[in-house]
Amino acid sequence: MRHGAPAVEFRSVSKRYGAVTAVDSVSLTIERGTLVTLLGPSGCGKTTILRLIAGLEQASEGHILIDDRNVTMLSAAERDVSMVFQSYALFPHMTVLENVCYGLRASGMRKSHAIDLAQAKLAMVGLGGYGARLPSELSGGQQQRVAVARAIVLEPKVLLFDEPLSNLDAKLRRQVREDIRELQHRLALTAVYVTHDQQEALAISDRIVVMSMARIAQDGTPRALYERPDNHFVANFIGDANILPVVVESRQGELASVRLSSVVLTLPHHNVADGPADLSIRPQALVLSRERGQLTGHVARAAYLGSHMEYWISLDVIGNQLFAIASDVTAPFAVGDSIWVTFAPSGLALLPQGRSD
Amino acid sequence: MDGRGKERAEIASALPRFLLGWLAVGFAGLVLLPWYGLDEGVSPPALLAGRPWLLPLIPPLLLALSCSFGRTKPRVLVAAGVAGLVWLAAQAFLIIHRGWAFVWITTLLGPGPSQPALGWGAIAYAVACLMLLAYGLARLGVCKGDVFVVGALLLVVGLIALFVFYPVLCILASAVRDNDGSFAPTLFFEKLLSRSVWGLDCVFGGRSCGVAWNTVAEAALVGVLTTFLGLAFALVALRTRMPMKPLLRALSVLPIITPPFVIGLALILLFGRAGMVTVWVANLFDLPRSRWIYGMPGITIAQVLAFTPISLLVLLGVLQGVAPSLEEASQTLRASRWYTFRTVTWPLIRPGLANSFLIGFIESMADFANPLVIGGNFNVLSTDIFFAVVGASHDQGRAAVLAIVLLSFTLAAFVAQRFWLGHRSYATVAGKGHIGIPAQLPGFVRATCYAVIVPCLILIVAVYCTILVGGFVVSIGRDNTPTLQYFWTAFSIEKGVGGWFLSGSAWNSFLVTIEVALVAMPFTAALGLLTAWLLDRQQFAFRRSFEFLAMMSFAIPGTIIGVAYVLAFNVPPVSLTGTGTIIAIAFAFRNMPVGIRAGLANLSQIDRSLDEASLTLGSNSFGTLRRVILPMLRPAVITAMVYSFVRAMTAVSAVIFLVTGRYNLATTYIVGRADVGDYGVAIVYSAVLVVFMMLVLLLIQLAVGERRIGRRVEVPRIESPGTALVQT
Amino acid sequence: MANTTRNSVATLFGISALACLAAGRAQAQRQLVMYCGVDEKWCRAIATTYQKETGVQVDMTRMSAGEVYARVRAEKDNPHGDVWFGGTGDPHLQAAEEKITEAYQSPMLPKLRDWAQRQAERAHNRTVGLYLGALGFGYNTEEVKRRRLAQPACWADLIKPEFKDEVQMADPNSSGTAWTMLATMVQLMGEDKGFEYLKALHKNINEYTKAGAAPALAAGQGETIVGIAFQHDVIDVAEHNKPVAVVSPCEGTGYEIGSLSLIAGAKHMDEAKKFYDWALTQEAQKIAATTGSFQIPSNPLTPVPPEAPDLSKIKLIEYDFAKYGSSETRKRLLGKWTDEVKNAPK
Repeated sequence: MRHGAPAVEFRSVSKRYGAVTAVDSVSLTIERGTLVTLLGPSGCGKTTILRLIAGLEQASEGHILIDDRNVTMLSAAERDVSMVFQSYALFPHMTVLENVCYGLRASGMRKSHAIDLAQAKLAMVGLGGYGARLPSELSGGQQQRVAVARAIVLEPKVLLFDEPLSNLDAKLRRQVREDIRELQHRLALTAVYVTHDQQEALAISDRIVVMSMARIAQDGTPRALYERPDNHFVANFIGDANILPVVVESRQGELASVRLSSVVLTLPHHNVADGPADLSIRPQALVLSRERGQLTGHVARAAYLGSHMEYWISLDVIGNQLFAIASDVTAPFAVGDSIWVTFAPSGLALLPQGRSD
Repeated sequence: MDGRGKERAEIASALPRFLLGWLAVGFAGLVLLPWYGLDEGVSPPALLAGRPWLLPLIPPLLLALSCSFGRTKPRVLVAAGVAGLVWLAAQAFLIIHRGWAFVWITTLLGPGPSQPALGWGAIAYAVACLMLLAYGLARLGVCKGDVFVVGALLLVVGLIALFVFYPVLCILASAVRDNDGSFAPTLFFEKLLSRSVWGLDCVFGGRSCGVAWNTVAEAALVGVLTTFLGLAFALVALRTRMPMKPLLRALSVLPIITPPFVIGLALILLFGRAGMVTVWVANLFDLPRSRWIYGMPGITIAQVLAFTPISLLVLLGVLQGVAPSLEEASQTLRASRWYTFRTVTWPLIRPGLANSFLIGFIESMADFANPLVIGGNFNVLSTDIFFAVVGASHDQGRAAVLAIVLLSFTLAAFVAQRFWLGHRSYATVAGKGHIGIPAQLPGFVRATCYAVIVPCLILIVAVYCTILVGGFVVSIGRDNTPTLQYFWTAFSIEKGVGGWFLSGSAWNSFLVTIEVALVAMPFTAALGLLTAWLLDRQQFAFRRSFEFLAMMSFAIPGTIIGVAYVLAFNVPPVSLTGTGTIIAIAFAFRNMPVGIRAGLANLSQIDRSLDEASLTLGSNSFGTLRRVILPMLRPAVITAMVYSFVRAMTAVSAVIFLVTGRYNLATTYIVGRADVGDYGVAIVYSAVLVVFMMLVLLLIQLAVGERRIGRRVEVPRIESPGTALVQT
Repeated sequence: MANTTRNSVATLFGISALACLAAGRAQAQRQLVMYCGVDEKWCRAIATTYQKETGVQVDMTRMSAGEVYARVRAEKDNPHGDVWFGGTGDPHLQAAEEKITEAYQSPMLPKLRDWAQRQAERAHNRTVGLYLGALGFGYNTEEVKRRRLAQPACWADLIKPEFKDEVQMADPNSSGTAWTMLATMVQLMGEDKGFEYLKALHKNINEYTKAGAAPALAAGQGETIVGIAFQHDVIDVAEHNKPVAVVSPCEGTGYEIGSLSLIAGAKHMDEAKKFYDWALTQEAQKIAATTGSFQIPSNPLTPVPPEAPDLSKIKLIEYDFAKYGSSETRKRLLGKWTDEVKNAPK
């Protein structure tokens, strides 16, 4: 085993179902002890990648390595990975303890030993006294924790999560999310996590792989993705973004001066060439005021959301409507008010021109 | 890495143990087990048989052995497996008991060596080669590299090929031969196009029509009538307030526990020349007693009574699939009941009706016993095939030709049902959330339904009363003095020198039938459920073709299976006739579709992620099947076992050529009695069979029912017994 | 994966166990496989009596003569049966012609009636006469009385218009009995006249049954007034308190010679030969009458049962078994009959 080799490595892996390509020549590495999220809209291939790692699907092309061992041709049972399913997939005819013991017994461990290990893991997820129950007698959150215990008791090289929170209600979701993250840190597990919820992804991940149309759209830390999206798709998918056409007039070092109508902004250029380009503007990056700012416009729609206000602003110079968020709820603008818009320095990112999605 | 990880690593390095195990089986087949003969059991193993052409069977195993150490080379294993199987088959089919199998080899090479039929050694060798092949293919990535899946798939395909395809091929081959076994294609066309098959004289010449037309007409008529009646029953059950549930339940069970000829028999006793009803009507109105029941009318009534419950089951499912909210929507759009029925309900159930028609059509074509008992001068293909073989003309070629005609009809209907109708069912489109109350029937539709089903119910009751009572009177209708005479003839127990013994004439066949049905039961269930699992849970190339082949035996009429088995398995290389084994095999492959359907229905309710969870937890697919799927599949297992057992007890046509003195079956015994007019014993025996199977079903329902209470609530409920029979 | 090793070992054991089981089953106590072509009760009585007397286990299958022939023919490369007991003689002769039955000269042969010996000669000793059954018909006495019909006594009576739709016979394509009837008519009247008679009869036939004995039963039950069958079948029905009378037609009639053959290549040939000799003794032959079969036995020492048709009162024709037993004649006449008679309009 090569020291420091990644836990999972994809080398130009493709998966095709007949004429449909679910995963298109994806290369990817997942470092040991990290939690990597696969994020993307439904049908983008993220679940297929997870199943390829698990061995539930076989790659049409390319190689998959787990711990530097080529497992491309191995079946799921022969790979050292385990998975927490969206539906939890607890065996309904076995007790909680039998469920957790299942993998240990399948690999031939003595029963008493297996029970000890399983009890310990159940205690770890806070279900110490529930071993004799049937899954149907537990709540959704408890079932979820049994599924996690069942997966980690095998101490797999990679732990896979397939949208594990989607069957929980919103409050519980945040709680369980933190529990998973905590457990992963404590046991130093390598985990791959699939979700379509960008907030969940941002909250839990060491790294996020954004998928689109069977390919990787961008791969990076949550902060990098949010602040420096590489393309329209990522900009739109992670958080909201207004995209406006701009012109890159000149570049100097890391920075470029960018013209948007009458305004000239100085931004990191992200290797975008001179000439026409697009600018991604987060809603919070639009500062609205009645005092003079950079561009004029008026409020087209306004909505009160308790903690903040949402506005749609029609700019006078450019035809576009912009989506903006303002934290001031005490003296909101009314529809039809004329206002000034100023661009905050953070929350702007330069993108190559044209839609990439 | 901890201890458990090491443990796993060791197991992984010991993978070829699978290979070594099967290689041991293969070598045992060559050197330990008797190579020839299944019954005799005295023949020496292959390597001691002194037959040099068996020696090439060794190299494939050695080849496989050589690559079991060190790195396994999958391609070599595949080659070894294929080579072993091909040589095994080639030598077995080329060199048979009377020398070369083909005349032209004899003329080319002179008289050759001979060998008897294959035995246990050959079976072990063949299975071992199959498993080598499976292992090799799995290592090449077939079926996600799962050895068990590939092995199971190869085994099932191999068995279907041997016990469904090979016999049918034998029929095709014998169709182009004359009675002496030489090749005669012109004779084939002569027989195929003969006027007795295709003649249309009943339309033009006042003579009887060709048997092919007779059969098609009869089957189409029965298909229409059963669909119509089934629809009437289903509508009354679901769309009126008539309390029909218990009645329907009883109705759906009847065709399963009733041997097929029993209804024909009862009709003769009721409406025959000397039948009860006939005599009564004749005395009342002084009418001449007619023989109208013999022929098409009798066959039609018998088959309609027999197959309507099946159609009912299909249509109940279809009708339940029509979401009430659709009809409610129609009504809120100001449509009348009749308009709703005509524009919403009817179009939605139309594909179901076509399906029901085709099932009735196939069942009628395949029915052998009713035409035999009540057919009179009206010939249909299934009985004509039988008499072409056993009749005074002894024309096996003609039997084969007729079998081909019949097979092409049923297969055409089967193909139509699967492909044409396969994607036209609207019933499944409806998702959840359809609540509401089904629309009541428009008045005159309801009246029509009642008008249709009431006489039908009366007839059914009359038929079953006749069966249950008829055997216990001297001569039903003519002399109604109660007697136990027939019952004692069939089921007497006497005290002899050595204690009590079963002296009745029926005991032998009754006990043998139970024995054979019991033997066939686990095989049928295992084969059916394994196939269902492969179909539902595994992806592999040609999956649809595989499904088609597996379900096809539903469309092969029993008479054809019977003839085909005699042709295929009487002579080496596979000699099974005269044994109970062949009867059990015939049952297993005929009833396999029941197991498949039961399995598919249940598997579709089990979340796939359960299998995947088990796989990712390190259990291989066999372990998953055994410990996760099978426990949850228990209802399907029970359904498959029960139906396999009951259908085996009631089958006639497939086994009528296969029974022997030792392995005589209840049904063929009864048909034999009825055929010579010995109705007393035939009826009493039928009644015993019906009651016996009713008891079996009740007992199992009780046992299963209690277990259901003892366990969780969520275990899927046992389906209505007949649903497994129905194509979905 | 340890599982799979265990499985393959288990399979090995399973196969061996099955092999042993099969071997154990076949481990023969002395046994004999008999295909039996006569009435079921007679068959069973023969099997049990022989078993009781000799201890040989008799494995009996009852089939019609046609079925036995088909079975023996199908199995000719690998026979399962040893001996073929009874059933009309034609299939026996045909089997002899095809050499699928074994030539054997029983020590009992010279002691038999001459028609039985002639049967053996025709078949070059591949079969022998077991009993003689004369063709005839039965009529339902109650129905005849009720309709005030004249009692039929001759073949010619059966084509009278008052019997329209009241005569039943078997289909010669499936029944040896009916084939005997067809051959009898052709021999009695000549082929053309015979077929004319059959065509005339066709108008009165209500059903061509599959089984030869069925018309006798139908007559007994009143399903038809007249049923053409072997006389002993009619007598058997009458013995069961059915209102049926047997008629030996005045013009003369044909007959069958129920036969006994050894199957070529039988697995238990020695046992089969012993059984063959035994079946021709008077002790064996008198069993028939006790089970309600009243044919004339081939061993002259066997007491002719009082219910049996009196041979002296039956006009038997010179039945040419060689000609009408050959498959050519059979095929031609059956084809002609099916085409010109059976499928003819009424």
